[in-house]
Amino acid sequence: MNGWLMRTLLGRIGGLALTLFLASVVIFSALLLTPGDPIAALAGGAKPTPELVAQIRAEYHLDDPIWARYLQWLGGVLTGDFGRSFVYQTDVLGLIAPRFAVTLQLVLLTVVMILIAGVGSGILAATRGPAVDRAVGLLTALGMALPTFVVAILLIWVFAKSLGWFPVYGEGAPGLDRFWHLVLPAASLAVMFIAYISRVTRSSLVAQLHSEHVETARVRGIPRGRIFRVHVFRNAAPQILAISGTTIAGLFAAAAIAEQAFGLGGIGSLLTEAAARKDLPVVQLVSLLLVTIFVVLNAVADLVSALIDPDSVNAGRPA
Amino acid sequence: MTRIAPTAVLALGAAAALALTACAPRDGGGGGEALAPPELVTALPAATTPVDEVTWSIVEGEPATLDPVSSANLIIPNLCDNLLSLQPDFSVEPGIATSAEWADPTTFVIELRDDVTFWDGSPVTAEDVVYSLERNRSPESQWFSAFALVTGIAASGPHEVTVTFSAPDSTFRDALAGQGGAVMSAAFGAGAGDGLGTSEAGLMCTGPYELAADGWTPGSEIVTTANPDYWNGAPLVDTLRYVFVSDASTLATALTEGEIDGALNVSPSSRAAFEGEGAGRLVVGPSTASYSFGPASAEGPAANPDIRRALSLAIDREQYIDTVLNGLGEVQRTIVPEFTFQELSAADVYQEGYDALAAPGVDLDTATQLVEDSGEDVSEPLVLAVPAGATEFKNTAQIVQSAAKQIGLTIEIDEMQASDFGAMFYDASAREGIDLVATQGYLETPGVLGYPSLFMLPEELGGVFNWSGYANADVTAHMQAARTATDERTAAQEFVAAQEIFAPDMLQVTLAGAYQLSYVNDGLTGITSSVAMYSSPWALHLGGE
Repeated sequence: MNGWLMRTLLGRIGGLALTLFLASVVIFSALLLTPGDPIAALAGGAKPTPELVAQIRAEYHLDDPIWARYLQWLGGVLTGDFGRSFVYQTDVLGLIAPRFAVTLQLVLLTVVMILIAGVGSGILAATRGPAVDRAVGLLTALGMALPTFVVAILLIWVFAKSLGWFPVYGEGAPGLDRFWHLVLPAASLAVMFIAYISRVTRSSLVAQLHSEHVETARVRGIPRGRIFRVHVFRNAAPQILAISGTTIAGLFAAAAIAEQAFGLGGIGSLLTEAAARKDLPVVQLVSLLLVTIFVVLNAVADLVSALIDPDSVNAGRPA
Repeated sequence: MTRIAPTAVLALGAAAALALTACAPRDGGGGGEALAPPELVTALPAATTPVDEVTWSIVEGEPATLDPVSSANLIIPNLCDNLLSLQPDFSVEPGIATSAEWADPTTFVIELRDDVTFWDGSPVTAEDVVYSLERNRSPESQWFSAFALVTGIAASGPHEVTVTFSAPDSTFRDALAGQGGAVMSAAFGAGAGDGLGTSEAGLMCTGPYELAADGWTPGSEIVTTANPDYWNGAPLVDTLRYVFVSDASTLATALTEGEIDGALNVSPSSRAAFEGEGAGRLVVGPSTASYSFGPASAEGPAANPDIRRALSLAIDREQYIDTVLNGLGEVQRTIVPEFTFQELSAADVYQEGYDALAAPGVDLDTATQLVEDSGEDVSEPLVLAVPAGATEFKNTAQIVQSAAKQIGLTIEIDEMQASDFGAMFYDASAREGIDLVATQGYLETPGVLGYPSLFMLPEELGGVFNWSGYANADVTAHMQAARTATDERTAAQEFVAAQEIFAPDMLQVTLAGAYQLSYVNDGLTGITSSVAMYSSPWALHLGGE
């Protein structure tokens, strides 16, 4: 079991490194190949003369071949030098770190909401009879249909403007104030994912509830609660976890919409601004960060499912 | 000086969010609900009560630099004083310079106050002013064109600077009331080097607000504090904090809920929200800003004045103002707006010239005839470029498109990302395949020559946006004569003579003048609310009522 786990782990880490490498190549070349020019950002608002343009191009190696620029960039990244922002003329890492903290807090709060409401309502739908099932089904259909920005507008309207319970803008000061500022953005971000996780949870549980071994357990007179914990939920958990892992990873990218709607200074809003201004070093690092989070969270979700139920992983693989 | 703002309003999903909250464009035909014409205010009454902290949103987003030479944004005017002081009504008064006058046709003498200090307490000397003005003599400066005729800048006394010219320049004095006349510390500038104005190196000026060493957190906020020793009296607001909310609907909510205390240049699309119940009020001021479109190429129908005249005759300006500006603008007869010259000493000459121009009106028959008689092949669509993401430009493009259709012209809309749109202004290859470009621009100091110079003069004389290769010897001669005139009435007469010729050629089809819009929390007052805010410390008199 331990040897198997080590192998899985090593294989995972190897795959992870390879994925990240490929992702960095794709991100880097895609950015260089997109139309538009960072000169406007670099010239800092002045109307650049041809001489200034030439000077900037030389200074930032804009005319070097893509592979040379990639290697230079990769070398920097590996030695902890992530470059300077074209727009702000400051260290990219320093620019990203505080914003990443905001996004991370937003995502964590969203995850808590998703797991409680999503898994909770899925369990209710699967176990509390057809009326509850239908009600949850209806709500989740609605939840999946509502785009995040629409939910944001609704939430702002009801809870911020009409009731005045929550602030409508900004990330607030760290601590309780921050938490208070993040409730509505997290809720608007969570709605669609709650609906999704709820449906996944329900269908996994229903599949287990109708499986043979549960029938057998029931016939043998094992108490309902125990059947649910040991036979149903445990078997359904890996699938729920795997889906949750991808979902949570996707939240980092989806956060941009909530950040925009609530004026949060997070990583998503930074990415959209930087992309529009062609601030390549910022876009590169944020994209790489998002890919890394996605890949790592996926791997973690896989490993955790494997730990809960090794068979589920082995079953999916050719021996 | 003229500024063309490629208005980079960017947002993921924000465009859609706007559609839900903003007023939908209306059809011109219905016309029952006329919007009340707003009262124009150049400044709110000065504040009397101190306030600890005010949070202000910069709609245009975070600036890349605060260096007055290479950036035009609404934070710099509160930090750095210009030599002359631009008043809210667009008149020019003494500032750090007690006087700035022509000693002879090519010699300009600036006398400085002797009691002005930088934030660090060091006095402002003639050397600092020489250093500051010299920086604008490089083409990299935003204000280079104002210094194009300057041959020398030298200290001629401890508090006197003399500027010499190759020819008289009737525009120079007013330009000193703009950021081209910003005064910065020479010693600090030498220490900061290339980083001057960035979050790391900072800035050293004399303005009413100071930028602390760690006041700028890039990507987040800029915090400035009152300068207690300001030569013109310390401001009442102790901490003025800038945040950057560019999404119109997010901003409208934050403002009306009172979470942000104010913002300048708010979107006219949020008029209903701003005029409804909320924490503050919409302040409407006069402006020199206008929406227009013009040719991007010397080839094709767009370069033909008849085609542009036809397009102009097809567009209903009143409907344009109602749809795009929610009624917060006015019909403008030509590229140079009235507010620009109303405080100049020869204002009557300019006004007479302006009034003599034809008011834009709709005449589809004449327009169709113009297209037919132009001899242009109009079978291919004309491509109109607008910046993506901004409702105003999206609506502008659609109005131009449907107006053109009525007179047999097909317009294809190209919504360009901010960086691509910006590139068109200096990179000819970025304009390939584009026939027309829609922009919004404004003049930040008095003076009528800036806008026409950019669009109508040959490139070597400053016509950097003269993309259609327009060349009219009479226009050029009159424009040059206006610039080098030694008395203001002659300058005005020469300009009016040029305008008579270039206005009908519509190098820019002016769609509307846009008012200056600000939203201010009910407890606050004292801001400059006219377009003068770009060049003067608009927050100097800000505070509680």
